[in-house]
Amino acid sequence: MRNSRTLAIGATLVMVLAACTSGSTPAPSAAASAAPSQAAASASTAPAAAGSVTLPTVRIGSDNFYESKLMAEIYAQILEHAGYTVVRNFGLGSRAAREPLLEQGQVDMVPEYIGSGLGYYDKTAPTGDAQSNHDKLAAILKTKGGGIEVFGFTPAQDQNAAVVRKDTASQYNLTRMSDLAAIQTKLVWGLPPDCDTNPLCSGALRQYGITYPPAQRVALAACDAPIAEALHAGTISFAWLCSTQPAILQFGFVQLTDDLKTQPADNIAPLVRDDFLAKVPDKAAFQALLDNASSKMTTAMLLQLGVDVAVNNQDIATVARNWLTQEGLLN
Amino acid sequence: MPSFISWLADPTHWNGPDGVPTRVVEHLQISGSAVLVALLIGLPLGLWIGHTGRGATAAINVANIGRAIPSYALIGMILPISLSIGSQLYWLSVVPVFVAMTALAIPPILVGAYAGLREVDRDLIEAARGMGFRERQILVAIEIPLAAPVIVGGIRTATLQVIATATIGAIISGGGLGRYIFDGLLLPDIPRVEAGAVLIAALAIGVDTVLAGVQRLITPRPPRNPARTPEPPEVPREPPPAGTRRLVRATGG
Repeated sequence: MRNSRTLAIGATLVMVLAACTSGSTPAPSAAASAAPSQAAASASTAPAAAGSVTLPTVRIGSDNFYESKLMAEIYAQILEHAGYTVVRNFGLGSRAAREPLLEQGQVDMVPEYIGSGLGYYDKTAPTGDAQSNHDKLAAILKTKGGGIEVFGFTPAQDQNAAVVRKDTASQYNLTRMSDLAAIQTKLVWGLPPDCDTNPLCSGALRQYGITYPPAQRVALAACDAPIAEALHAGTISFAWLCSTQPAILQFGFVQLTDDLKTQPADNIAPLVRDDFLAKVPDKAAFQALLDNASSKMTTAMLLQLGVDVAVNNQDIATVARNWLTQEGLLN
Repeated sequence: MPSFISWLADPTHWNGPDGVPTRVVEHLQISGSAVLVALLIGLPLGLWIGHTGRGATAAINVANIGRAIPSYALIGMILPISLSIGSQLYWLSVVPVFVAMTALAIPPILVGAYAGLREVDRDLIEAARGMGFRERQILVAIEIPLAAPVIVGGIRTATLQVIATATIGAIISGGGLGRYIFDGLLLPDIPRVEAGAVLIAALAIGVDTVLAGVQRLITPRPPRNPARTPEPPEVPREPPPAGTRRLVRATGG
Protein backbone atom coordinates (compact mmCIF):
# COMPACT_ATOMS: atom_id res chain seq x y z
CA MET A 1 0.00 0.00 0.00
CA ARG A 2 2.66 2.50 1.04
CA ASN A 3 4.80 1.73 -1.99
CA SER A 4 2.00 2.50 -4.41
CA ARG A 5 1.22 5.75 -2.61
CA THR A 6 4.85 6.85 -2.77
CA LEU A 7 4.88 5.94 -6.42
CA ALA A 8 1.78 8.02 -7.03
CA ILE A 9 3.20 11.05 -5.24
CA GLY A 10 6.50 10.70 -7.09
CA ALA A 11 4.77 10.41 -10.44
CA THR A 12 2.69 13.49 -9.71
CA LEU A 13 5.79 15.49 -8.78
CA VAL A 14 7.56 14.42 -11.95
CA MET A 15 4.57 15.47 -14.06
CA VAL A 16 4.32 18.85 -12.28
CA LEU A 17 8.02 19.51 -12.80
CA ALA A 18 7.82 18.50 -16.44
CA ALA A 19 4.86 20.80 -17.01
CA CYS A 20 6.63 23.71 -15.36
CA THR A 21 9.80 23.47 -17.39
CA SER A 22 8.37 22.58 -20.79
CA GLY A 23 6.76 24.89 -23.32
CA SER A 24 7.25 28.60 -23.87
CA THR A 25 6.05 29.76 -20.46
CA PRO A 26 7.39 33.11 -19.28
CA ALA A 27 8.07 31.86 -15.71
CA PRO A 28 11.48 30.20 -16.27
CA SER A 29 12.82 33.13 -18.30
CA ALA A 30 11.72 35.66 -15.69
CA ALA A 31 14.47 34.48 -13.36
CA ALA A 32 16.97 34.65 -16.19
CA SER A 33 15.95 38.18 -17.07
CA ALA A 34 16.41 39.52 -13.55
CA ALA A 35 20.20 39.40 -13.76
CA PRO A 36 20.60 41.02 -17.20
CA SER A 37 18.24 43.90 -16.39
CA GLN A 38 20.24 44.65 -13.25
CA ALA A 39 23.39 44.62 -15.35
CA ALA A 40 21.71 46.96 -17.82
CA ALA A 41 20.69 49.32 -15.00
CA SER A 42 24.21 49.52 -13.58
CA ALA A 43 25.65 50.01 -17.05
CA SER A 44 23.36 52.94 -17.77
CA THR A 45 24.37 54.78 -14.60
CA ALA A 46 28.14 54.30 -15.03
CA PRO A 47 29.85 55.79 -18.07
CA ALA A 48 30.04 53.07 -20.68
CA ALA A 49 33.54 51.71 -21.06
CA ALA A 50 34.86 51.72 -24.61
CA GLY A 51 33.64 48.71 -26.59
CA SER A 52 31.18 47.46 -23.97
CA VAL A 53 27.55 48.25 -24.65
CA THR A 54 24.95 46.41 -22.62
CA LEU A 55 21.76 45.93 -24.58
CA PRO A 56 18.47 46.25 -22.67
CA THR A 57 16.22 43.27 -22.09
CA VAL A 58 13.19 43.35 -24.36
CA ARG A 59 9.84 41.87 -23.32
CA ILE A 60 7.93 40.69 -26.39
CA GLY A 61 4.23 39.91 -26.18
CA SER A 62 1.83 38.27 -28.62
CA ASP A 63 -1.81 37.37 -29.05
CA ASN A 64 -3.21 33.93 -28.46
CA PHE A 65 -3.27 32.54 -31.98
CA TYR A 66 -0.40 30.76 -33.70
CA GLU A 67 0.37 33.45 -36.30
CA SER A 68 0.87 36.16 -33.71
CA LYS A 69 3.16 33.88 -31.72
CA LEU A 70 5.07 33.01 -34.89
CA MET A 71 5.65 36.65 -35.78
CA ALA A 72 6.71 37.44 -32.22
CA GLU A 73 9.08 34.47 -32.23
CA ILE A 74 10.68 35.62 -35.49
CA TYR A 75 11.31 39.11 -34.07
CA ALA A 76 12.53 37.55 -30.81
CA GLN A 77 15.13 35.36 -32.54
CA ILE A 78 16.42 38.25 -34.66
CA LEU A 79 16.93 40.36 -31.56
CA GLU A 80 18.56 37.52 -29.67
CA HIS A 81 20.93 37.01 -32.60
CA ALA A 82 21.83 40.70 -32.32
CA GLY A 83 22.69 40.29 -28.64
CA TYR A 84 19.48 41.33 -26.89
CA THR A 85 18.03 39.33 -24.04
CA VAL A 86 14.42 38.53 -24.87
CA VAL A 87 11.66 37.72 -22.41
CA ARG A 88 8.81 35.98 -24.21
CA ASN A 89 5.35 36.83 -22.91
CA PHE A 90 3.38 35.14 -25.67
CA GLY A 91 -0.29 34.22 -25.71
CA LEU A 92 -1.56 37.25 -23.79
CA GLY A 93 -5.07 36.91 -25.23
CA SER A 94 -7.00 38.78 -27.87
CA ARG A 95 -6.21 42.37 -28.86
CA ALA A 96 -8.65 43.65 -26.25
CA ALA A 97 -6.60 41.91 -23.57
CA ARG A 98 -3.12 42.46 -25.02
CA GLU A 99 -3.24 46.11 -26.06
CA PRO A 100 -3.82 47.51 -22.54
CA LEU A 101 -0.77 45.52 -21.40
CA LEU A 102 1.34 47.22 -24.07
CA GLU A 103 -0.03 50.63 -23.14
CA GLN A 104 0.70 50.04 -19.47
CA GLY A 105 4.24 48.92 -20.18
CA GLN A 106 3.89 45.29 -19.14
CA VAL A 107 5.51 44.38 -22.44
CA ASP A 108 7.83 46.43 -24.66
CA MET A 109 6.87 45.13 -28.08
CA VAL A 110 4.11 43.24 -29.90
CA PRO A 111 3.45 42.31 -33.53
CA GLU A 112 0.30 44.04 -34.79
CA TYR A 113 -2.04 43.79 -37.78
CA ILE A 114 -2.13 47.45 -38.65
CA GLY A 115 -5.61 47.56 -40.22
CA SER A 116 -7.36 45.78 -37.36
CA GLY A 117 -5.10 47.48 -34.84
CA LEU A 118 -6.21 50.85 -36.20
CA GLY A 119 -9.83 49.67 -36.09
CA TYR A 120 -9.40 48.87 -32.39
CA TYR A 121 -8.84 52.57 -31.70
CA ASP A 122 -11.05 54.03 -34.44
CA LYS A 123 -13.65 51.83 -36.13
CA THR A 124 -14.05 54.09 -39.15
CA ALA A 125 -10.40 54.71 -39.95
CA PRO A 126 -9.07 51.51 -41.61
CA THR A 127 -8.98 51.30 -45.40
CA GLY A 128 -7.48 49.02 -48.00
CA ASP A 129 -4.41 51.27 -48.12
CA ALA A 130 -1.67 49.84 -45.93
CA GLN A 131 0.44 53.02 -45.75
CA SER A 132 -2.56 55.07 -44.69
CA ASN A 133 -3.44 52.54 -41.97
CA HIS A 134 0.16 52.56 -40.79
CA ASP A 135 0.37 56.34 -40.55
CA LYS A 136 -2.99 56.75 -38.84
CA LEU A 137 -2.12 54.06 -36.30
CA ALA A 138 1.25 55.67 -35.65
CA ALA A 139 -0.43 59.02 -35.02
CA ILE A 140 -2.85 57.50 -32.51
CA LEU A 141 -0.19 55.44 -30.71
CA LYS A 142 2.03 58.50 -30.20
CA THR A 143 -0.55 59.54 -27.61
CA LYS A 144 -0.89 56.13 -25.90
CA GLY A 145 1.11 54.70 -23.01
CA GLY A 146 3.75 57.41 -23.10
CA GLY A 147 4.34 56.93 -26.82
CA ILE A 148 4.45 53.78 -28.94
CA GLU A 149 6.17 53.51 -32.32
CA VAL A 150 4.90 51.60 -35.34
CA PHE A 151 7.85 50.20 -37.27
CA GLY A 152 7.88 49.25 -40.94
CA PHE A 153 5.15 46.90 -42.12
CA THR A 154 5.44 43.61 -43.98
CA PRO A 155 4.32 43.03 -47.55
CA ALA A 156 2.43 40.10 -46.03
CA GLN A 157 -1.21 40.63 -45.22
CA ASP A 158 -3.53 38.49 -43.15
CA GLN A 159 -6.94 39.89 -43.67
CA ASN A 160 -10.51 38.77 -43.93
CA ALA A 161 -10.85 36.48 -46.93
CA ALA A 162 -14.02 35.58 -48.79
CA VAL A 163 -13.48 31.92 -49.58
CA VAL A 164 -15.26 29.22 -51.59
CA ARG A 165 -14.38 25.65 -52.49
CA LYS A 166 -12.58 24.95 -55.73
CA ASP A 167 -15.59 23.15 -57.18
CA THR A 168 -17.88 26.07 -56.40
CA ALA A 169 -15.41 28.48 -58.01
CA SER A 170 -15.21 26.49 -61.23
CA GLN A 171 -18.96 25.76 -61.33
CA TYR A 172 -19.90 29.44 -61.20
CA ASN A 173 -16.71 30.95 -62.62
CA LEU A 174 -15.88 32.86 -59.46
CA THR A 175 -12.64 34.84 -59.14
CA ARG A 176 -13.74 38.12 -57.57
CA MET A 177 -16.24 38.98 -54.87
CA SER A 178 -18.18 40.94 -57.48
CA ASP A 179 -18.96 37.63 -59.16
CA LEU A 180 -21.03 36.53 -56.16
CA ALA A 181 -24.07 38.75 -56.63
CA ALA A 182 -25.30 36.90 -59.71
CA ILE A 183 -25.42 33.50 -57.94
CA GLN A 184 -26.04 34.63 -54.37
CA THR A 185 -29.23 32.58 -53.91
CA LYS A 186 -27.40 29.40 -54.85
CA LEU A 187 -24.96 29.67 -51.96
CA VAL A 188 -25.21 28.76 -48.29
CA TRP A 189 -23.49 31.63 -46.48
CA GLY A 190 -21.27 30.96 -43.46
CA LEU A 191 -21.26 34.32 -41.69
CA PRO A 192 -20.14 35.28 -38.17
CA PRO A 193 -22.92 36.11 -35.70
CA ASP A 194 -21.79 39.73 -35.49
CA CYS A 195 -22.05 40.17 -39.27
CA ASP A 196 -25.25 42.20 -38.91
CA THR A 197 -23.54 44.96 -36.99
CA ASN A 198 -20.08 44.67 -38.56
CA PRO A 199 -19.55 47.06 -41.49
CA LEU A 200 -16.68 44.87 -42.70
CA CYS A 201 -19.10 41.96 -43.06
CA SER A 202 -22.68 43.03 -43.84
CA GLY A 203 -21.53 46.40 -45.17
CA ALA A 204 -19.06 44.78 -47.51
CA LEU A 205 -21.55 42.19 -48.74
CA ARG A 206 -24.09 44.90 -49.49
CA GLN A 207 -21.43 46.78 -51.43
CA TYR A 208 -21.05 43.70 -53.62
CA GLY A 209 -24.79 43.59 -54.30
CA ILE A 210 -25.64 40.78 -51.89
CA THR A 211 -29.07 41.11 -50.30
CA TYR A 212 -28.42 41.08 -46.59
CA PRO A 213 -29.20 38.94 -44.66
CA PRO A 214 -29.06 36.12 -47.17
CA ALA A 215 -31.85 33.57 -46.93
CA GLN A 216 -29.53 30.61 -46.44
CA ARG A 217 -27.23 31.60 -43.62
CA VAL A 218 -25.31 29.58 -41.05
CA ALA A 219 -23.82 31.35 -38.03
CA LEU A 220 -20.15 30.45 -37.60
CA ALA A 221 -17.24 32.52 -36.27
CA ALA A 222 -14.75 33.62 -38.93
CA CYS A 223 -11.19 32.32 -39.26
CA ASP A 224 -11.38 29.25 -37.08
CA ALA A 225 -11.58 25.51 -37.54
CA PRO A 226 -15.36 24.84 -37.52
CA ILE A 227 -16.13 27.25 -40.37
CA ALA A 228 -13.27 25.84 -42.45
CA GLU A 229 -14.46 22.29 -41.80
CA ALA A 230 -18.05 23.18 -42.65
CA LEU A 231 -16.92 24.71 -45.94
CA HIS A 232 -14.80 21.69 -46.73
CA ALA A 233 -17.65 19.29 -45.99
CA GLY A 234 -20.09 21.20 -48.17
CA THR A 235 -22.47 22.28 -45.40
CA ILE A 236 -21.78 25.89 -46.40
CA SER A 237 -20.56 27.21 -49.74
CA PHE A 238 -19.18 30.61 -48.68
CA ALA A 239 -17.01 31.35 -45.66
CA TRP A 240 -15.12 34.26 -44.14
CA LEU A 241 -11.64 32.97 -43.35
CA CYS A 242 -8.32 34.72 -42.73
CA SER A 243 -6.13 34.97 -45.80
CA THR A 244 -3.18 33.13 -44.26
CA GLN A 245 -5.29 30.45 -42.61
CA PRO A 246 -3.69 27.06 -43.34
CA ALA A 247 -7.08 25.56 -44.19
CA ILE A 248 -7.03 27.49 -47.47
CA LEU A 249 -3.96 25.59 -48.64
CA GLN A 250 -4.91 22.41 -46.86
CA PHE A 251 -8.36 22.09 -48.46
CA GLY A 252 -7.54 23.84 -51.72
CA PHE A 253 -10.00 26.67 -51.18
CA VAL A 254 -10.21 29.63 -53.57
CA GLN A 255 -9.96 33.12 -52.10
CA LEU A 256 -12.05 35.63 -54.06
CA THR A 257 -10.37 38.94 -54.79
CA ASP A 258 -11.73 41.86 -52.79
CA ASP A 259 -11.94 44.01 -55.93
CA LEU A 260 -13.86 46.82 -54.25
CA LYS A 261 -11.28 46.90 -51.43
CA THR A 262 -13.82 46.59 -48.64
CA GLN A 263 -11.47 44.86 -46.20
CA PRO A 264 -8.77 46.79 -44.29
CA ALA A 265 -5.19 46.13 -45.32
CA ASP A 266 -3.85 44.04 -42.46
CA ASN A 267 -0.12 44.08 -42.91
CA ILE A 268 1.99 43.28 -39.87
CA ALA A 269 4.28 45.68 -38.04
CA PRO A 270 5.97 45.61 -34.64
CA LEU A 271 4.70 48.10 -32.08
CA VAL A 272 7.53 49.26 -29.79
CA ARG A 273 7.30 51.43 -26.67
CA ASP A 274 9.26 54.69 -26.60
CA ASP A 275 10.49 54.15 -23.05
CA PHE A 276 12.09 50.91 -24.16
CA LEU A 277 13.64 52.57 -27.24
CA ALA A 278 15.18 55.19 -24.94
CA LYS A 279 17.32 52.39 -23.45
CA VAL A 280 18.50 51.16 -26.85
CA PRO A 281 22.00 52.44 -27.69
CA ASP A 282 21.39 52.70 -31.45
CA LYS A 283 17.68 53.17 -32.19
CA ALA A 284 18.16 53.40 -35.94
CA ALA A 285 20.03 50.11 -36.05
CA PHE A 286 17.38 48.50 -33.87
CA GLN A 287 14.60 49.56 -36.19
CA ALA A 288 16.60 48.62 -39.28
CA LEU A 289 17.05 45.15 -37.87
CA LEU A 290 13.30 44.62 -37.55
CA ASP A 291 12.33 46.47 -40.74
CA ASN A 292 14.75 44.33 -42.71
CA ALA A 293 13.13 41.15 -41.43
CA SER A 294 9.63 42.52 -41.98
CA SER A 295 10.42 43.42 -45.58
CA LYS A 296 11.11 39.76 -46.32
CA MET A 297 7.77 38.51 -45.01
CA THR A 298 5.31 37.81 -47.81
CA THR A 299 1.76 36.49 -47.67
CA ALA A 300 2.93 33.27 -49.30
CA MET A 301 5.50 32.88 -46.54
CA LEU A 302 2.87 33.35 -43.84
CA LEU A 303 0.62 30.81 -45.51
CA GLN A 304 3.39 28.24 -45.78
CA LEU A 305 4.69 28.74 -42.25
CA GLY A 306 1.11 28.59 -41.05
CA VAL A 307 0.74 25.17 -42.64
CA ASP A 308 3.97 24.06 -40.98
CA VAL A 309 2.80 25.15 -37.56
CA ALA A 310 -0.95 24.60 -37.57
CA VAL A 311 -1.32 21.62 -39.91
CA ASN A 312 2.00 19.76 -39.66
CA ASN A 313 2.29 20.65 -35.97
CA GLN A 314 5.90 21.74 -36.12
CA ASP A 315 7.36 23.68 -33.22
CA ILE A 316 7.02 27.46 -33.67
CA ALA A 317 10.61 28.21 -32.63
CA THR A 318 11.98 25.68 -35.12
CA VAL A 319 9.80 26.97 -37.96
CA ALA A 320 10.90 30.55 -37.19
CA ARG A 321 14.58 29.61 -37.07
CA ASN A 322 14.37 27.69 -40.34
CA TRP A 323 12.78 30.62 -42.11
CA LEU A 324 15.30 33.11 -40.69
CA THR A 325 18.19 30.87 -41.73
CA GLN A 326 16.73 30.45 -45.18
CA GLU A 327 16.45 34.23 -45.58
CA GLY A 328 20.02 34.73 -44.38
CA LEU A 329 18.91 36.78 -41.41
CA LEU A 330 20.82 34.78 -38.82
CA ASN A 331 24.28 35.23 -40.36
CA MET B 1 -31.55 48.27 -13.42
CA PRO B 2 -29.36 45.32 -14.37
CA SER B 3 -28.85 45.19 -18.11
CA PHE B 4 -30.36 41.77 -18.62
CA ILE B 5 -33.69 42.88 -17.22
CA SER B 6 -34.03 45.56 -19.89
CA TRP B 7 -33.01 42.99 -22.50
CA LEU B 8 -35.68 40.56 -21.27
CA ALA B 9 -38.26 43.32 -21.03
CA ASP B 10 -37.84 44.15 -24.71
CA PRO B 11 -40.77 42.52 -26.54
CA THR B 12 -38.82 42.17 -29.81
CA HIS B 13 -36.59 39.64 -28.07
CA TRP B 14 -39.57 37.35 -27.54
CA ASN B 15 -40.62 36.66 -31.12
CA GLY B 16 -39.00 35.40 -34.29
CA PRO B 17 -36.40 32.69 -34.92
CA ASP B 18 -34.02 34.27 -32.41
CA GLY B 19 -36.73 34.93 -29.81
CA VAL B 20 -36.73 33.47 -26.32
CA PRO B 21 -39.56 30.92 -26.84
CA THR B 22 -37.92 29.50 -29.98
CA ARG B 23 -34.54 29.26 -28.31
CA VAL B 24 -35.99 27.64 -25.18
CA VAL B 25 -37.76 25.01 -27.27
CA GLU B 26 -34.57 24.32 -29.24
CA HIS B 27 -32.63 24.04 -25.99
CA LEU B 28 -35.12 21.61 -24.49
CA GLN B 29 -35.12 19.57 -27.68
CA ILE B 30 -31.38 19.05 -27.72
CA SER B 31 -31.14 18.52 -23.96
CA GLY B 32 -34.17 16.24 -23.79
CA SER B 33 -33.10 14.01 -26.65
CA ALA B 34 -29.60 13.65 -25.22
CA VAL B 35 -30.90 12.72 -21.76
CA LEU B 36 -33.38 10.30 -23.32
CA VAL B 37 -30.73 8.44 -25.27
CA ALA B 38 -28.45 8.51 -22.22
CA LEU B 39 -31.28 6.85 -20.26
CA LEU B 40 -31.65 4.15 -22.91
CA ILE B 41 -27.94 3.41 -22.71
CA GLY B 42 -27.00 4.18 -19.11
CA LEU B 43 -30.02 2.96 -17.18
CA PRO B 44 -30.08 -0.69 -18.31
CA LEU B 45 -26.31 -0.86 -17.93
CA GLY B 46 -26.41 0.71 -14.48
CA LEU B 47 -29.20 -1.60 -13.34
CA TRP B 48 -27.29 -4.61 -14.62
CA ILE B 49 -24.02 -3.81 -12.88
CA GLY B 50 -25.92 -2.75 -9.77
CA HIS B 51 -27.92 -5.95 -9.61
CA THR B 52 -25.11 -8.38 -10.42
CA GLY B 53 -22.29 -6.37 -8.84
CA ARG B 54 -20.10 -7.41 -11.78
CA GLY B 55 -18.12 -5.17 -14.16
CA ALA B 56 -18.93 -2.05 -12.12
CA THR B 57 -15.42 -0.62 -12.04
CA ALA B 58 -14.90 -1.06 -15.76
CA ALA B 59 -18.32 0.29 -16.70
CA ILE B 60 -18.07 3.34 -14.45
CA ASN B 61 -14.52 4.20 -15.56
CA VAL B 62 -15.42 3.98 -19.23
CA ALA B 63 -18.60 5.98 -18.70
CA ASN B 64 -16.74 8.72 -16.82
CA ILE B 65 -14.75 9.51 -19.94
CA GLY B 66 -17.90 11.25 -21.13
CA ARG B 67 -17.61 13.84 -18.39
CA ALA B 68 -13.83 13.84 -17.98
CA ILE B 69 -13.28 15.20 -21.47
CA PRO B 70 -14.45 18.82 -21.58
CA SER B 71 -17.55 19.00 -23.73
CA TYR B 72 -16.05 21.92 -25.66
CA ALA B 73 -13.13 19.71 -26.70
CA LEU B 74 -15.39 16.76 -27.39
CA ILE B 75 -17.45 18.79 -29.84
CA GLY B 76 -14.28 19.94 -31.61
CA MET B 77 -13.14 16.33 -31.95
CA ILE B 78 -16.50 15.00 -33.12
CA LEU B 79 -17.10 17.73 -35.70
CA PRO B 80 -14.79 16.47 -38.48
CA ILE B 81 -16.11 12.94 -38.01
CA SER B 82 -19.70 14.13 -38.10
CA LEU B 83 -19.07 16.20 -41.23
CA SER B 84 -17.42 13.27 -42.97
CA ILE B 85 -20.64 11.30 -42.57
CA GLY B 86 -22.88 13.89 -44.17
CA SER B 87 -22.86 17.53 -45.21
CA GLN B 88 -26.40 18.50 -44.29
CA LEU B 89 -26.68 21.22 -41.71
CA TYR B 90 -27.62 18.96 -38.81
CA TRP B 91 -24.33 17.05 -39.10
CA LEU B 92 -22.75 20.39 -38.20
CA SER B 93 -25.14 22.07 -35.83
CA VAL B 94 -26.91 19.17 -34.08
CA VAL B 95 -25.00 15.88 -34.13
CA PRO B 96 -21.73 16.89 -32.41
CA VAL B 97 -23.47 18.62 -29.51
CA PHE B 98 -26.02 15.80 -29.24
CA VAL B 99 -23.26 13.19 -28.99
CA ALA B 100 -21.28 15.27 -26.48
CA MET B 101 -24.37 15.87 -24.32
CA THR B 102 -25.31 12.18 -24.36
CA ALA B 103 -21.76 11.31 -23.31
CA LEU B 104 -22.09 13.85 -20.51
CA ALA B 105 -25.44 12.50 -19.31
CA ILE B 106 -24.59 8.79 -19.22
CA PRO B 107 -22.17 8.79 -16.23
CA PRO B 108 -24.53 10.29 -13.63
CA ILE B 109 -27.40 8.06 -14.77
CA LEU B 110 -25.25 4.94 -14.77
CA VAL B 111 -23.62 5.68 -11.45
CA GLY B 112 -26.97 6.66 -9.92
CA ALA B 113 -28.56 3.37 -10.94
CA TYR B 114 -25.56 1.40 -9.71
CA ALA B 115 -25.32 3.22 -6.38
CA GLY B 116 -29.05 3.05 -5.77
CA LEU B 117 -29.15 -0.69 -6.31
CA ARG B 118 -26.08 -1.30 -4.18
CA GLU B 119 -27.74 0.48 -1.26
CA VAL B 120 -30.68 -1.93 -1.16
CA ASP B 121 -30.51 -4.13 1.93
CA ARG B 122 -28.88 -7.42 0.86
CA ASP B 123 -30.89 -9.32 3.42
CA LEU B 124 -34.08 -8.34 1.66
CA ILE B 125 -32.73 -9.68 -1.60
CA GLU B 126 -31.52 -12.88 0.00
CA ALA B 127 -34.88 -13.32 1.65
CA ALA B 128 -36.60 -12.82 -1.67
CA ARG B 129 -34.33 -15.35 -3.31
CA GLY B 130 -35.11 -17.74 -0.51
CA MET B 131 -38.80 -17.23 -1.10
CA GLY B 132 -38.32 -18.26 -4.69
CA PHE B 133 -38.28 -14.84 -6.44
CA ARG B 134 -36.54 -14.95 -9.81
CA GLU B 135 -33.74 -12.46 -10.49
CA ARG B 136 -35.86 -10.31 -12.77
CA GLN B 137 -38.65 -10.20 -10.17
CA ILE B 138 -36.18 -9.15 -7.51
CA LEU B 139 -34.94 -6.35 -9.72
CA VAL B 140 -38.36 -5.08 -10.70
CA ALA B 141 -40.34 -5.65 -7.53
CA ILE B 142 -37.74 -4.93 -4.85
CA GLU B 143 -34.53 -3.29 -6.00
CA ILE B 144 -35.84 -0.67 -8.41
CA PRO B 145 -38.64 0.64 -6.18
CA LEU B 146 -36.25 0.94 -3.24
CA ALA B 147 -33.47 2.46 -5.34
CA ALA B 148 -35.78 4.76 -7.28
CA PRO B 149 -34.97 7.98 -5.39
CA VAL B 150 -31.24 7.57 -6.00
CA ILE B 151 -31.83 6.59 -9.63
CA VAL B 152 -33.93 9.68 -10.21
CA GLY B 153 -31.25 11.67 -8.39
CA GLY B 154 -28.79 10.54 -11.04
CA ILE B 155 -31.20 11.55 -13.78
CA ARG B 156 -31.58 14.97 -12.12
CA THR B 157 -27.84 15.51 -12.09
CA ALA B 158 -27.55 14.47 -15.71
CA THR B 159 -30.38 16.74 -16.82
CA LEU B 160 -29.04 19.75 -14.97
CA GLN B 161 -25.56 19.34 -16.42
CA VAL B 162 -26.87 18.83 -19.95
CA ILE B 163 -29.12 21.88 -19.85
CA ALA B 164 -26.25 24.03 -18.61
CA THR B 165 -23.69 22.62 -21.05
CA ALA B 166 -25.83 22.45 -24.18
CA THR B 167 -25.00 26.14 -24.54
CA ILE B 168 -21.76 25.31 -26.33
CA GLY B 169 -23.58 23.99 -29.40
CA ALA B 170 -23.82 27.61 -30.45
CA ILE B 171 -20.14 27.58 -31.32
CA ILE B 172 -20.83 25.38 -34.32
CA SER B 173 -23.98 27.17 -35.45
CA GLY B 174 -26.29 25.23 -33.13
CA GLY B 175 -29.46 26.74 -31.70
CA GLY B 176 -30.74 26.95 -28.16
CA LEU B 177 -30.13 29.50 -25.43
CA GLY B 178 -26.37 29.29 -25.98
CA ARG B 179 -26.86 31.49 -29.03
CA TYR B 180 -27.46 34.48 -26.76
CA ILE B 181 -24.18 33.90 -25.00
CA PHE B 182 -22.06 33.16 -28.07
CA ASP B 183 -23.54 35.87 -30.29
CA GLY B 184 -23.53 38.31 -27.39
CA LEU B 185 -19.82 37.75 -26.76
CA LEU B 186 -18.92 38.28 -30.41
CA LEU B 187 -20.98 41.40 -31.08
CA PRO B 188 -20.35 42.43 -28.20
CA ASP B 189 -23.75 42.72 -26.54
CA ILE B 190 -23.23 42.01 -22.86
CA PRO B 191 -26.90 42.41 -21.81
CA ARG B 192 -27.68 39.59 -24.23
CA VAL B 193 -24.99 37.42 -22.68
CA GLU B 194 -26.36 38.06 -19.21
CA ALA B 195 -29.93 37.40 -20.30
CA GLY B 196 -28.84 34.15 -21.88
CA ALA B 197 -27.06 33.05 -18.72
CA VAL B 198 -30.08 33.92 -16.58
CA LEU B 199 -32.47 32.08 -18.91
CA ILE B 200 -30.33 28.95 -18.97
CA ALA B 201 -30.02 28.93 -15.18
CA ALA B 202 -33.77 29.46 -14.80
CA LEU B 203 -34.52 26.64 -17.22
CA ALA B 204 -32.09 24.29 -15.48
CA ILE B 205 -33.45 25.08 -12.03
CA GLY B 206 -37.04 24.83 -13.23
CA VAL B 207 -36.56 21.40 -14.75
CA ASP B 208 -34.57 20.29 -11.72
CA THR B 209 -37.40 21.36 -9.41
CA VAL B 210 -39.88 19.29 -11.41
CA LEU B 211 -37.60 16.27 -11.23
CA ALA B 212 -37.13 16.84 -7.49
CA GLY B 213 -40.89 16.60 -7.15
CA VAL B 214 -40.85 13.34 -9.08
CA GLN B 215 -38.10 12.10 -6.82
CA ARG B 216 -40.18 12.88 -3.73
CA LEU B 217 -43.25 11.18 -5.17
CA ILE B 218 -41.51 7.91 -5.84
CA THR B 219 -39.63 7.73 -2.55
CA PRO B 220 -41.22 4.78 -0.75
CA ARG B 221 -42.69 5.87 2.59
CA PRO B 222 -42.61 3.60 5.62
CA PRO B 223 -46.13 2.39 6.60
CA ARG B 224 -47.59 4.66 9.30
CA ASN B 225 -49.49 1.96 11.20
CA PRO B 226 -47.69 -1.31 10.88
CA ALA B 227 -50.47 -3.96 10.68
CA ARG B 228 -50.49 -6.19 13.69
CA THR B 229 -49.61 -9.65 12.48
CA PRO B 230 -51.46 -12.44 14.33
CA GLU B 231 -49.36 -14.62 16.60
CA PRO B 232 -48.56 -18.02 15.11
CA PRO B 233 -50.29 -20.94 16.91
CA GLU B 234 -48.30 -22.60 19.75
CA VAL B 235 -46.16 -25.40 18.38
CA PRO B 236 -45.45 -28.14 20.93
CA ARG B 237 -41.74 -28.29 21.54
CA GLU B 238 -40.51 -31.83 20.94
CA PRO B 239 -36.98 -32.80 20.21
CA PRO B 240 -36.59 -33.44 16.49
CA PRO B 241 -36.45 -37.13 15.54
CA ALA B 242 -32.96 -38.58 15.28
CA GLY B 243 -31.41 -38.16 11.90
CA THR B 244 -33.19 -34.92 11.06
CA ARG B 245 -30.80 -32.71 12.99
CA ARG B 246 -28.60 -32.15 9.95
CA LEU B 247 -31.66 -31.18 7.89
CA VAL B 248 -32.81 -28.66 10.51
CA ARG B 249 -29.39 -27.03 10.73
CA ALA B 250 -29.17 -26.67 6.96
CA THR B 251 -32.44 -24.78 6.60
CA GLY B 252 -32.50 -22.91 9.91
CA GLY B 253 -31.14 -19.42 10.13
